[in-house]
Amino acid sequence: MRRQHVVTALLENQVGTLNRLTSVFRRKGVSLESLSVGDCEQSGYSRMTLVVSGDDSDLNVVMGQLLKLLDVVDIQDLKVDSSVRRELALVRVGASPQQRGEIIEVVHVMGGRVAHLAKDDLTVEFTDEPRKIEHFLSLMEPYGLREVVRTGTAAMRVD
Amino acid sequence: MTRTGATVVMEALARHGVDVMFGYPGGVVLPLYDEMLNWPQVKHVLVRHEQCAAHMADGYARATGKVGVCLGTSGPGATNLVTGIATAMMDSVPMVVLTGQVNTWAIGTDAFQETDIQGITIPITKHNYLVTDVDDLPRVMAEAFYLANTGRKGPVLVDIPKDVFQGKTDVDFPEATQRRGYLLPGPALQEMIDEAAELLNSAERPVVIAGAGVVWSETHKALAELAEKADVPIINSLLGLGSFDRDDPRSLGMMGMHGEAAGTIATQHADLVIGIGMRFDDRLTGKMSGFAPNARKIHFDIDPTEFGKAIPAYCRVLGDLADSLPRFVQAVKPAKHPEWWAEIRRWRESYPLIVPDDGRFLARHVVDSLNRVTKGNAVVSTDVGQHQMWAAQFYKFHQPFNWLSSGGLGTMGYGFPAAMGAQFARPDAEVWCVVGDGGFQMTLQELIVAAEHKLPVKIALINNGFLGMIRQWQEMFYDNRYSHAHMANPDYSKLAEAYGVGFIRVTKQEDMDEAVRQAEAIDGPVLVECVVQMEENVYPMVAAGAANDDLIMDPAVAPREKVKA
Ligand SMILES: Cc1ncc(C[n+]2csc(CCOP(=O)(O)OP(=O)(O)O)c2C)c(N)n1
Ligand SMILES: [Mg+2]
Repeated sequence: MRRQHVVTALLENQVGTLNRLTSVFRRKGVSLESLSVGDCEQSGYSRMTLVVSGDDSDLNVVMGQLLKLLDVVDIQDLKVDSSVRRELALVRVGASPQQRGEIIEVVHVMGGRVAHLAKDDLTVEFTDEPRKIEHFLSLMEPYGLREVVRTGTAAMRVD
Repeated sequence: MTRTGATVVMEALARHGVDVMFGYPGGVVLPLYDEMLNWPQVKHVLVRHEQCAAHMADGYARATGKVGVCLGTSGPGATNLVTGIATAMMDSVPMVVLTGQVNTWAIGTDAFQETDIQGITIPITKHNYLVTDVDDLPRVMAEAFYLANTGRKGPVLVDIPKDVFQGKTDVDFPEATQRRGYLLPGPALQEMIDEAAELLNSAERPVVIAGAGVVWSETHKALAELAEKADVPIINSLLGLGSFDRDDPRSLGMMGMHGEAAGTIATQHADLVIGIGMRFDDRLTGKMSGFAPNARKIHFDIDPTEFGKAIPAYCRVLGDLADSLPRFVQAVKPAKHPEWWAEIRRWRESYPLIVPDDGRFLARHVVDSLNRVTKGNAVVSTDVGQHQMWAAQFYKFHQPFNWLSSGGLGTMGYGFPAAMGAQFARPDAEVWCVVGDGGFQMTLQELIVAAEHKLPVKIALINNGFLGMIRQWQEMFYDNRYSHAHMANPDYSKLAEAYGVGFIRVTKQEDMDEAVRQAEAIDGPVLVECVVQMEENVYPMVAAGAANDDLIMDPAVAPREKVKA
């Protein structure tokens, strides 16, 4: 079955780890939708969240091969109902002085924050589940999306 | 104790019992070549092309079960090793590959002879390292040997910049190697072993397909016990040859694209297929959906990623065969399968492998002579092509570690240097290389190394004037349109003379046995040129992409073109 998977991995920090990881995806022809990585609670290690769409059996093979990499300590395919997922989007929207108030109101209602204000646009910082980000972007669309930067999903298992 | 990086490397080789290594110098590895002079216990063989250093290390490993070591300089030296590394990776051969790198401060500047060999070899090594701090070198060298030779074995590359060879460190070798991200499977689960035994106990038409995992784990004795106790036929994958005595009546020889018909047909009729230390390679299974359609599959392997990769196994036994196989044998009930064997015997009798006796001189006669004269006890390497398949079919191995052939990558040029590596590793063994005239021309420059070291390696060169395997495919699948399959050969007698190796030319079947004996009697390398029938096909055959039911038989054996298995 083809579906989206959110995978979290614990990695040893080594030069080239990312290279090895992505090489496995490339060989299998599985493209990464997002990837986010940063320090974690263990020094010398990082946690990475990968979002990929693909066949379950292909993904199983990929996960096995990733686990075989020396730099990969652990890897898990997270279930939707037992994980917290968040993503940060920076969104620059066109905003004439007349539209500003209206946009800022929408941003606040949605739980976003204005990160920067300029003469004819404003930059919003918005953090939520990936699908809420889609929704937020659709609300901003009419004002003109000048630039959108997304961090990719960070996810954590919760029981 | 403070010593240089170069000393650390030599110390590591000595500690790991490396008695021969294969390499070629260049600017950035000169510090290591200088240090080498202080280490007489580690013999260095100067090859004539780095690819052959890798194949020799591979041959050394396959002939001994030990880690093979090769060495090249940065840039072209390193890239020349690539084919040999990929060959070893595909066949899970334990190797430590050392490459020199430009000085750390020059890395990334397109310095002279710089190449990103770490990046290049990520997909073809089990793991690789670029050592930028000499203090890391003792740990990395220890890790490299450990990784190469544990779990599913494979090549590990260590890229060492010139200034790291020259730098000084007082860091000791670690007592033990441990990496959180490297887990070896523990003992196999008892419930899996019991389930596997239960499946075998209740099977009526079981077959075992044994691969190179049995060789590397040295569990050939357990395999033999299994065959006897459960009265089950043992088929070998190409690389598994030698893990089961071919003279044992329960041996059905090799299976695969050119495997013996009886084994292939038996597998298609089996109700249980037990894969042991093998990976259900596409050349063995034929079209996956048509493979052993009525059989449940049990898969024993040390690498969990092999489970379900090619075929969905019903029962998976994860673990080192050294642990799981004897336990499996113990759990299995003694059985007899007279009806199953009666059927198999019929297939064997109907579709035997034949050595014709019609006046023609064929590659099959060469291998058959070798087999008879050496009594199946020689170390045999092959190159890739028709001769490789004939060697696999007609040489009857009795022991593991005697068979060297590039299975997964199918690397032409492998056979001769691999045989040399084996001969360096086992100076007293009788080593024969069966090689095609195409593949021999890829790496024959190493003749001078054989001559220089008076290496008693014997070469059975199959001169058919063709890239035979290519010609066969063009005959069978491209309507006889030979495109660049024909090939000129040099005058091999002059070549042998130029290189200073012995030479025998054979043109008739009846002279072959004597030629083998003559070659054996010569103390040094001998090139035995066997001028055989030019156009001859390997049978049986399962065409690429076809199911194993579609066996194309030798027309001399079965009049119909295809035999439904
Ligand atoms: C390096 C490499 N190039 C190409 C091939 C494809 N190939 C497979 S078999 C073969 C012909 C081998 O000819 P030869 O060495 O004369 O052996 P023969 O088949 O005649 O016994 C070729 C070209 C290969 N396996 N390896
Ligand atoms: Mg040929």
